[in-house]
Amino acid sequence: MIPEEQQDQAALYALGLLSVDEVAAFETQLRSNEELRVLVSELKAAAADVSMLAPPHTPPPQIRDRVLQEVALIRQAEASRITSRGAWLPWAIAAALALFCGWLALDHARLSRELAEVRTRDPLAQTTVYVLAPTAQSDQPGARATVTWLKSKQTGLIKVTNLPNPGPARDYQLWAVDANHKDPVSAGLIKVDANGTAEVRFRPAEETSQVKAFAISLEREGGVAKAEGPILLAGTG
Amino acid sequence: MEQTTQQAADSELMARISAGDQGAFRALYDRLSGPLYSLVCKMLGDVAEAQEVLQDVFVQIWRRAPTYDAGQSTVFTWAVLQTRSRTIDRLRARGRRARIVAGSLDEGEPMLPHASTAVTAADHVVMNDEASRVRTAFKTLPEDQREAIELAFFNDLTHHQIAEQLQQPLGTIKARIRRGLLKLREQMQTV
Repeated sequence: MIPEEQQDQAALYALGLLSVDEVAAFETQLRSNEELRVLVSELKAAAADVSMLAPPHTPPPQIRDRVLQEVALIRQAEASRITSRGAWLPWAIAAALALFCGWLALDHARLSRELAEVRTRDPLAQTTVYVLAPTAQSDQPGARATVTWLKSKQTGLIKVTNLPNPGPARDYQLWAVDANHKDPVSAGLIKVDANGTAEVRFRPAEETSQVKAFAISLEREGGVAKAEGPILLAGTG
Repeated sequence: MEQTTQQAADSELMARISAGDQGAFRALYDRLSGPLYSLVCKMLGDVAEAQEVLQDVFVQIWRRAPTYDAGQSTVFTWAVLQTRSRTIDRLRARGRRARIVAGSLDEGEPMLPHASTAVTAADHVVMNDEASRVRTAFKTLPEDQREAIELAFFNDLTHHQIAEQLQQPLGTIKARIRRGLLKLREQMQTV
């Protein structure tokens, strides 16, 4: 039997009325209480039913056209990314390419200086987003990750979805492919939860000023100094 | 979780959408766009904004389809809660909460419905039938519970704000929301 106070919290949680701290505390209880999870599921369904009290309106057809068009574009972009992932080169070639990009960057020093000035003025402009998709070595087609990288602070945030538990004595490890390093730089281990998701802040083991890509590999437990295992997800900014 | 035929069909659509099936996405749009749009219109009270939000919501549904878990909720519940969350973001971004609260218990200016050729007659019948069931079930709740739930769900008011607005103790409001939602769920299984 769930105490009334906890039921109250469950109802507020279902309606999204709890504060961030309260949500965190409640979700801790949820993880270990199956009965509570069932109750939350029921309450969310009831909350969703309330939406049907809204007076009925029908969206105009052009919204449908716009939505379908946007989704078709996204699908196209995803398809081209998946096609290109088959051509993902081994680490050494990636590093060479990164170095080549570095040389190009030097060749465009003036542009870089201007860019640096703009970025100094606007902190948001310093942020780069990398979308990581499964590589040809991956057997997890649904896995995805997004890295938000703030070069000036040398920190990032990675969000992972649909990446299953790595299995016994294994860990997922994040790598930064940087133009100034021969080998990818370790950016830490990623622990996914039971839903295959993770959201963690990270800082690469060494300074990485020209990150060309991020990648996730499957390594032995505790991680390795130099990537050894299969690269499961990778993506450029 | 036991699923109705419609819920199972929705789950199947979501599985196909996760695999990149745009036909399945079109079918889901045709089935859910009406109720989701109605919800956004009710919360925002602005047709143009509601259309923008609806568009965002469906693109989000496409992107997040792989994260949908049929064991956690039905597709309808999942989609409604995402829509509500997105609409609340819009409300907060526009800082229009005060205006919405002021008009919380009436419908405001009526909005003209738009013609649509996309939604099938069968979808309309299913949704109208479902909405009718919800209204019938909702009417069985005591008025104070209905009021608290509507304020919480449609108007982005916290339980603290609802308690203040209705001049009731916080514990009373929490209990009304909880009892109301549980009773609604129970009634939906009988009506």
